[in-house]
Amino acid sequence: MIIPAGILFPETMLQSGWFNVFATFVAINTVIYVILSVSKLFPVIRSLPRRTIRARAESRSIYPGEERRK
Amino acid sequence: MNRFFQRSVGILVVATVLLAIALMILIIASSRDSTMRWDPRRVNLFDGSMTLTFSGAAPGFGILLPALAIAVLLVVVVVVTERLVSLRYRRTPPGVTRRPLAPKPVMERTRGVFAGEVTVTVLIPAHNEEASLPGTLASLDEQLVRPDRVIVVADNCVDGTVRVAREYGADVFETVGNTHKKGGALNQALREVLPALGDNDAVLVMDADTQLGPAFLQQAVQLFTSDRALMAVGGLFQGEEGGGILGQFQRNEYHRYQREIRRREGRVFVLTGTGTVFRSSALRAVAEARGAQIPGRPGDVYDTLALTEDNELTIAIKSLGGLMTSPDECVVTTEIMPSWKMLWAQRLRWQRGALENLGAYGVTPQTFRYWAQQVSIGYGVFALFAYFLLMAVMLLAMDIWVWYPFWIGIGLVFAVERAVTVWQGGWRARLLAILIIPELVYDCFLNLAFLKGVFEISAGQRASWKHVTHEQRAEPLERKVA
Repeated sequence: MIIPAGILFPETMLQSGWFNVFATFVAINTVIYVILSVSKLFPVIRSLPRRTIRARAESRSIYPGEERRK
Repeated sequence: MNRFFQRSVGILVVATVLLAIALMILIIASSRDSTMRWDPRRVNLFDGSMTLTFSGAAPGFGILLPALAIAVLLVVVVVVTERLVSLRYRRTPPGVTRRPLAPKPVMERTRGVFAGEVTVTVLIPAHNEEASLPGTLASLDEQLVRPDRVIVVADNCVDGTVRVAREYGADVFETVGNTHKKGGALNQALREVLPALGDNDAVLVMDADTQLGPAFLQQAVQLFTSDRALMAVGGLFQGEEGGGILGQFQRNEYHRYQREIRRREGRVFVLTGTGTVFRSSALRAVAEARGAQIPGRPGDVYDTLALTEDNELTIAIKSLGGLMTSPDECVVTTEIMPSWKMLWAQRLRWQRGALENLGAYGVTPQTFRYWAQQVSIGYGVFALFAYFLLMAVMLLAMDIWVWYPFWIGIGLVFAVERAVTVWQGGWRARLLAILIIPELVYDCFLNLAFLKGVFEISAGQRASWKHVTHEQRAEPLERKVA
């Protein structure tokens, strides 16, 4: 009887329980990594739209005359 | 921080990672939903003249969705924590002496007083840099806003560094009896230069083999002028041309890093030693706080025990509440490692330095983000090696070639993402990125450096600080500035 085999390991190894777990572990990592990477392609979600951010109560410039600008 | 904690920093990170992995494996093993089963199907094409074997195996949604949800949750926790911490530090009230560089205390101290226009004093620590110095000094010449003073800090030079500096017209400060490399050299120079500098006088610290983009100082001066609570403006570094494929790997890496900083709107991870402008008051405050709130010797600006002194200084300024930014226009072109051996030495130093700094500061609100980064790097190390192991096992066990639509689909998405994130690098960058595998091999190399770093710290080995020697270049350095 000829057992189907790859170069080094028997093909039955690919059906074993531990291989299943290992392959699932790698698959999950891969999916998570790709999704997180792809999420970096999209613009950042901002908690506050820029225009509604309040202007500073006090100017932070180095020139004293520009302070207390509303 | 005690020595035991410092030595166990690496192990702490790795243990956290292994715990996460063990948890995942446990959940997968106990689930009935994992479906990475080996049951390839045959399909006949072109009326039986060609047979295609494929497998639709993919992880079941029952496992995938919770795993994804956890990952997203972790990312959100890390990001939100960082924002909350920086918000809390930014709102530090004036009376708090623990954070003297926070905006409100600074504003209180400087209100109503005009400390003069912003000036820039440049410090260039140089150890036998006669070959690279001319290029660096030329880039200062081409600044849209010129520095007020350029000082080359010649540290134990046995070549023509001093001569080149004087020929150019720069001031020269020669270190005396310095055994602490760059940090020690800068400390000596700063001890002399800082006392005369006022609140609006800034210090640019840059390497002798880097070139600044022409708008660098203009942008920095503008930012310091409009915000007297801003303590540091850090450069975004990119790799110089040349170096073949290895050089391209590094350039791609830096492009991605730049892109991430731009997405963060300039929020800083590290104020790079290759080119950062500091307000003199920030450096003075750091020197005063050493030995008390932050590690190091009182009076030293740089902690000479730190392998990565720029990373350490960044954490120091953050711990004291200082604001910092890395704007788009502040581009720095820096050297790339010309050989794998030198790259190894550099990355080992960076990795060790990063972990050691965390060991010195401990877990604080400001270092939380950095700890999270180390854990995610550690996790990536194991995940990448697991991936290669799986590929190897499958290749060595498969009798016939099987197509996996799942893996192929993921691979294509990934290839697109890789190319987009290095888009600014041009066609060479994009081509290398889209091939995926070469960069993964490069990542493996970096991962090994991570593991070596963890091992060395845990074993208490003394670090070595390898210096890049620059041979006289035949052609001038090609500059790639924004």
